[in-house]
Amino acid sequence: MAALLEVRDLTIEFTTKAGIVHAVEGASFDVERGEALGLAGESGCGKTTTALALMRLLPYNGRIVRGSISFAGRSLVPLEEASMRAIRWKEMSIVFQGAMNSLNPVQRVGRQIAEPIILHEDADSDVALKRAGDLLELVGISRNRLNDYPHEFSGGMRQRVMIAMALACDPKLVIADEPVTALDVMIQAQILDLLERLRRELDLAMILISHDLSVLADTCEQVTIMYAGKTMESGKTMDLFTDPKHPYTQGLVGAFPDIRGPRNMPEAIPGDVPSLISPPSGCVFHPRCKFAFDRCSNAEPELSELAPGRRAACFLYPEVTEVPGRSMPIATR
Amino acid sequence: MNAGITIFGIICLNYLLIRLMPGDPSLSIIPRDPKFRGLRDYMISFFGLDRPQWEQFVIYLQRLFTLDWGLSYQDHRPVADILLHDLGWTLLLVGTSTILTVLIGIAIGAYSAIRRGKPFDFVSTGIGIFLYGMPIFWLGLVLQSAFRKNSVFQGWIPWWPALPTSGYYDDRLIPWNWDILHVADAFLHLLLPALTLSLGTLAGISLVMRNSLIDVMTEDFVTTARAKGLSPRQVLRRHILPNGMPPMVSLIALDIAFILGGAYQVEVIFRYQGIGFRTIEAIGSLDYPLLQFIIVIGGAAVVIANLLADFLLLWLDPRIKIS
Amino acid sequence: MGTVEVVKVGGVISPFRARAIVVGRRMQDIGLQVFHNKTAMAGLIILIFFTVLAVAAPLIAPYGPLSAVPDVGPLTLPAPGHPFGTNQFGYDIYSQVIWGTQISLLVGVLAAAVASVIGTAVGLVSGFVGGWIDEVIMRFNDVVLSIPWLVLMIVIAARLNYLDLVGIILVIGLTGWSVTARVVRSQVLSLKERMFVERGRMIGSSNTHILLRHIFPNAFPLIFANTILTVAVSILSESVLAFLNLSVKSNVSWGRIIAEAYQHDALTIGMAEWLIVPGLCIVFLVFGFYLFGYALDEILNPRLRRR
Repeated sequence: MAALLEVRDLTIEFTTKAGIVHAVEGASFDVERGEALGLAGESGCGKTTTALALMRLLPYNGRIVRGSISFAGRSLVPLEEASMRAIRWKEMSIVFQGAMNSLNPVQRVGRQIAEPIILHEDADSDVALKRAGDLLELVGISRNRLNDYPHEFSGGMRQRVMIAMALACDPKLVIADEPVTALDVMIQAQILDLLERLRRELDLAMILISHDLSVLADTCEQVTIMYAGKTMESGKTMDLFTDPKHPYTQGLVGAFPDIRGPRNMPEAIPGDVPSLISPPSGCVFHPRCKFAFDRCSNAEPELSELAPGRRAACFLYPEVTEVPGRSMPIATR
Repeated sequence: MNAGITIFGIICLNYLLIRLMPGDPSLSIIPRDPKFRGLRDYMISFFGLDRPQWEQFVIYLQRLFTLDWGLSYQDHRPVADILLHDLGWTLLLVGTSTILTVLIGIAIGAYSAIRRGKPFDFVSTGIGIFLYGMPIFWLGLVLQSAFRKNSVFQGWIPWWPALPTSGYYDDRLIPWNWDILHVADAFLHLLLPALTLSLGTLAGISLVMRNSLIDVMTEDFVTTARAKGLSPRQVLRRHILPNGMPPMVSLIALDIAFILGGAYQVEVIFRYQGIGFRTIEAIGSLDYPLLQFIIVIGGAAVVIANLLADFLLLWLDPRIKIS
Repeated sequence: MGTVEVVKVGGVISPFRARAIVVGRRMQDIGLQVFHNKTAMAGLIILIFFTVLAVAAPLIAPYGPLSAVPDVGPLTLPAPGHPFGTNQFGYDIYSQVIWGTQISLLVGVLAAAVASVIGTAVGLVSGFVGGWIDEVIMRFNDVVLSIPWLVLMIVIAARLNYLDLVGIILVIGLTGWSVTARVVRSQVLSLKERMFVERGRMIGSSNTHILLRHIFPNAFPLIFANTILTVAVSILSESVLAFLNLSVKSNVSWGRIIAEAYQHDALTIGMAEWLIVPGLCIVFLVFGFYLFGYALDEILNPRLRRR
């Protein structure tokens, strides 16, 4: 049986005044039913863009130029807008980063949670509001607060409301885009526990997006590491953390202070995320990579299987091949 | 509270303006024109013009709050009656035109916000700034010429409509009666003045609506709304518009004095006998009893309109608290 | 960059000269941005056109502003030699429109200057001093803002009975400073928060020094942009007063030409230009000031820039 979500060679571009931004290039991953996938990488590497593309919510200047998204047996890229609207929230919902801004400030939260129920299930508003109350209780908020406005909740509470809203129509897949970033550490742990509990109870598939690997560690079975719009490495969470293959992954894992280990300052990766308008030639990571050699700047490594279920795109490993047609002998820049 | 202070400020400033300006202090209120000579003694005793300054002020306040504002030179009717009557018609004009402006302004603003950078946006913004700089009295004159009986346009286009261009309703229908004929005629007479005033104030509103909606559109909750599977129209109506309204209400509240100023010009052009028309007439005949309360009435109307706008904001945006 | 240059100029350099260089550099930079801003340039071209018209009126206008033409009588239809016809006194309307530019620009600019000076002074003091003085000033400002400006102006104008050029400028200026005061005050409040004022205070400079040397120069660009918008409003105000026959009687102005056209039913007697042209002049002149003012505001005030 095919995976719930299959993304193949997803490539997204934005047209801006400064030029074409290659936001995501050749992203491929699967999410099985009831499984959690983590997407990790520094900010600006295409994680959020990928999430928006899955729901076909790219801003007006962005478009999917290549690749396919197959969700529950349907191909989403060529789907017309009306059919796509029927899938949004009903089968695939999303929790955004700042719950502060993701909730409509002038509408009562009850109505906001009930809105998709009324829309997708033809429920009348009493039934929908009752469901909204149940959902609030599910995420640990009293149903008395249905009539409150978002500004009357704390940051963590708002994120709970957001999660309740995401579950409103019993979706098959929930995308959580940096769900805990703006919250303090205690609240972060609570929200992550909540997500994990709900996922098991409701048998949800989930895509968890974070720049913070520790957020993904306990929740996700699989992790995909992205950098400058490209996939660097993917595999089982445990394998990836204990034995990172790609130098970028090694840097990310190293950038995390281990609370149990000795108190070393984490080793930062030098340099910045490159421009997505004119990305570096060859491997996008080579300007920051301490292992870079000639080939890295001339040819682009293809994401290749190193071991079953384990893939990386780095010429350090002999199995890794070049992306056909992407070797560029001269860098004219 | 602040509104009360402001109104009291207006009352004091008004007193100073009318009596303490250079020229002929305290006598200005006494008729100079020989044909009003008979009112002289009445005015002196009514406003206590022969008493000390502070007593005059107390009398002024007393008269003001009891709506006992004396008689107009012109037709010897009580000033309060005249002004309250006029204010009603001015409010009808301003109210109608504001509602018209807001509806059209929201439509245009929303449409240009959605099509930001497209030809419609460019053209409507350009026309907007252009209209913004148009003297309202001139716009009124042009519209009046275009829509009166036997206008130039009627020679060119057979079906070009003619609309009434002066008064509240047709003179032949006097006196006023609450029947369909009078109401319909009053409505017809309202059309051109209201349209003029709307066009004069439309630009500001649609430009602010456009910018405010563009701001709202970049907010995360709009993406959430789209992710819920709402259609673009549902997103606009349920999530974008309700968040774009508060800045617009604040703007209208700020501009209300300006809109009233425009209404005064419109009234003069269309001989629509509201406060503005009365002001010009009172100046023409130096009818000071009338003139001295016109500022108070106009100012109080603005303060009250602002107060109403504050309440509207309170209802529109739950984040605003009563302070 | 400025400081590097200052060092290079070398040796002993007075702080005043140093600032002059920095401010000059800033102005140059703003000028360059204006030059590259299409809206600002469009506005500027309109303004230059009308300024030339006003200054060169004696050369361009075939007849005087208030003198009957020798060849035809009053109320003649447009014809060669008198493109817009003649008015009820036999004055050439085309010439009147050209002369009218002078009054509109003069009154507009000077009244806006009066309004800006008062508004800036009030705003600076109110924002900088704060406390009960600020409270009183802002309450008074509310009062002035609440009275419909037109009535206020009309009553003052009528109260003064006779208005010469100075009178009309003062009436418009004295009733138009409230908005400027508000804008300046909020700008001062935000500038006050900034670090360098604190530093200036610590060195031991007086409040007046901080106000005039630190806050005012930084608020100046915004005040300038606001003044340009005030000019547009003042031109409109003058035209309304002139239309109501309350403006200067001894000079011709666009509002007055329109009033005369209106009184003589210009459209019906086939003299549409009499009514339309002076109106369009007002519209375009105001349009020019708005375009330039808004573009300048956008350049000087980055917060307003479109996302």
